[in-house]
Amino acid sequence: MSVLEMKNIKKSFGSKVVLKDITLKVEKGEVVSIIGPSGSGKSTLLRCATFLEHIDNGEISYIGKKVVTKGADGAVYPPKKELQQACSNFGLVFQNFNLFPHFSVMKNIADAPIVIQKRNKDEVYKEVRELLEKVGIGDKENSYPCELSGGQQQRVAIARALALHPAMLYFDEPTSALDPEITAEILRVLKSLAAEKMTMVIVTHEIDFARAVSDRVVFMDGGMVIEEGRPEDVIDNPGNERTKMFLKKLHV
Amino acid sequence: MDNTRISKKFVYLFIMAVFAGFIFVGNTCQAKQEFIVGFDAEFPPYGYMDENGEYTGFDLDLAAEVCKRNGWTLVKRPISWNTKDSELESGAISCIWNGFTMNGREKQYTWSTPYVDNSQVVITRNDSGIKELKDLSGKILAVQTDSSALAALEGEDATDENKALAQSLKELQQVEDYNSAFMNLESGMVDAIAMDIGVAAYQLSSKSDIFIMLDEKLSSEEYGIGFKLGNTELRDKVQLTLLDMLEDGTFDSIVKKWGLGDSACLSLEDTTYIDGGRVPSPGSNGVDNQDNTDNNLEDTDTQDNVKSSAPKAGKMSIAQIVKQLSTGLAATVGIFVLTLLFSMPLGLVVAAARMSKYKIPQWIAKIYISILRGTPLMLQLIVVFFAPYYVFKISTPYAYRFYAVIIGFSLNYSAYFAEIYRSGIQSIPQGQREAAQIMGYNRGQTFFRIIFPQMVKRVLPPVTNEVITLVKDTSLAFALSYAEMFTLAKQVAAAQKSLVPLFVAGVFYYIFNFIVALLMERIEKRLDYYK
Repeated sequence: MSVLEMKNIKKSFGSKVVLKDITLKVEKGEVVSIIGPSGSGKSTLLRCATFLEHIDNGEISYIGKKVVTKGADGAVYPPKKELQQACSNFGLVFQNFNLFPHFSVMKNIADAPIVIQKRNKDEVYKEVRELLEKVGIGDKENSYPCELSGGQQQRVAIARALALHPAMLYFDEPTSALDPEITAEILRVLKSLAAEKMTMVIVTHEIDFARAVSDRVVFMDGGMVIEEGRPEDVIDNPGNERTKMFLKKLHV
Repeated sequence: MDNTRISKKFVYLFIMAVFAGFIFVGNTCQAKQEFIVGFDAEFPPYGYMDENGEYTGFDLDLAAEVCKRNGWTLVKRPISWNTKDSELESGAISCIWNGFTMNGREKQYTWSTPYVDNSQVVITRNDSGIKELKDLSGKILAVQTDSSALAALEGEDATDENKALAQSLKELQQVEDYNSAFMNLESGMVDAIAMDIGVAAYQLSSKSDIFIMLDEKLSSEEYGIGFKLGNTELRDKVQLTLLDMLEDGTFDSIVKKWGLGDSACLSLEDTTYIDGGRVPSPGSNGVDNQDNTDNNLEDTDTQDNVKSSAPKAGKMSIAQIVKQLSTGLAATVGIFVLTLLFSMPLGLVVAAARMSKYKIPQWIAKIYISILRGTPLMLQLIVVFFAPYYVFKISTPYAYRFYAVIIGFSLNYSAYFAEIYRSGIQSIPQGQREAAQIMGYNRGQTFFRIIFPQMVKRVLPPVTNEVITLVKDTSLAFALSYAEMFTLAKQVAAAQKSLVPLFVAGVFYYIFNFIVALLMERIEKRLDYYK
């Protein structure tokens, strides 16, 4: 069963068409990278998939359950409660992390499981400590986000998303705010998640990173999926002219 | 954990403040019939504050005796001269008894017969070179707002000579009270003051070396007691009691005590009111004539030289002034605390409406903010106080004066706080809300757990500004004659003919604000643990 299924997604901002007719499926345990030039619509696609933007028309399902359906006058969204419920299927690691500055690292991660999922406090704390250990910042639970480096903040953001036990994770440009040497460490964290069969969708413009981490690469341009397939096919032997041009520019 | 402790403290504080408010208000409930005399507390010798902080004066002594004989409770209510008609109309006071000139106002009040003959005179510095009225040409003349002197110069019934005199002036400067008029004169900001002879004599008694009174008079007029138009019942009772006092000599002894021997004119011969009614004759109605041989007023003054025997407000030491103002300080702190308590949460509600995605609450909030920020706070206080009577015809109890101050201040400050909150909320990155949304926080949880705490930190500096402004703004409660510190300071200043009480008030405000600033700084430091 697909974890995520997006069908015929259309989205415009005013008269500018951003997503023309996108269809995307992500299977359980898959790691998919979405690449493409800026303005190609890849970030918008991610925002639509996470309900931060409303699509104009199309269909979005999580784990076989339709959340947004096609309608005669555009997409039909479910009531707030149901949409909130659908949000529990995924986690999102923002480009700039969006940690809560007034919460400690522990509270950033533990607050939602305790307050929203009503889970046992001690259990959550225990799990958070394990998660922090796993992402390599076991000693930072009492720090505040402003005291952490960019790479450390990102690990907190990942742990925060994982603590809610989502079926899949989204990453929005995970490497753009980081120094090159830290990128390698994040790659290691993502690879270990992939080894645990975590389903992940990563929006990035860093080709090497995409090649290293993903099972499948989706190349987008002009609001359309131009090409998709295994990284060694799409990145190393692109079939499409636009993919070739994009990759060429990056390599020059 | 820390947060809950802080909010608990606030809850306790709130409960305590509300109780304090009730005790405050509860005190004013009384069973006996009240006779509420409205007077300008900056108008010696008719009504002013003495060195012990008591309101005293010729008119108040008369009123006290009238009340004693009728078994009423006398309430001395200092009012702002600008709002005296509204106070009377709304029933907040029973009468205006305060060197109140009848001439020119005959048809606006129900009057007693005249009891003091009062002329309008001109005071100037003795080195000004002004010897007679025509010398005033090209000079600046000060008068009290809505006073008889102003009416004598520019009113409908002003004589042609006086109108010509007013025309020839460089400027006719209106002042709020006589104390500031004399400060203006002493410092040369104005050349002369036109005023009632009784008040002039009181002022000259201590400053005859600086000021002189011109021999020529602007006009001759009389004082009466003004009641609400049509309230002849109360007027007759008071009139009758006054005539009784005249008959048994009590009236004269009070006149002598205050050194007004030349101008008292209450007469048993005067048998018709200016509104045409018959003056009742003493002893003919049910007023209980108490034996008042024990009245200690009679032996207070036996001197012949009446002018010099006029009592003066004794000089107050700084310590006495401080003690006086301290009583007002409690009222000031009360206004301050209660205003913050109500306006801060109310501001949050207004800010929420202002940022609502629905048009109607948005517009209501916009108009609310626009009006409250766009009009003077003093005017808003007056509107809140008088609206129940003028709009809804509801007579308000005395306690309402205090409520009106709190309501007026809270509404006004909530508008400012609302805009501060809004800017604080809008400055928080959208990503915070998006992160919360994806993690499953609902709107309320997002606001109270994520947005609000961050907003508090961001708005602290502008809120501190606003809070400090509020400390000083409490003085605007004088518009409703609420006896907070600055109102008292002005009254003491008038009685003392000195600026010192105002400076003392200034020191109080400074210390108050210093403490407020210190507290706010500590709160800011406490929130410094994150950026």
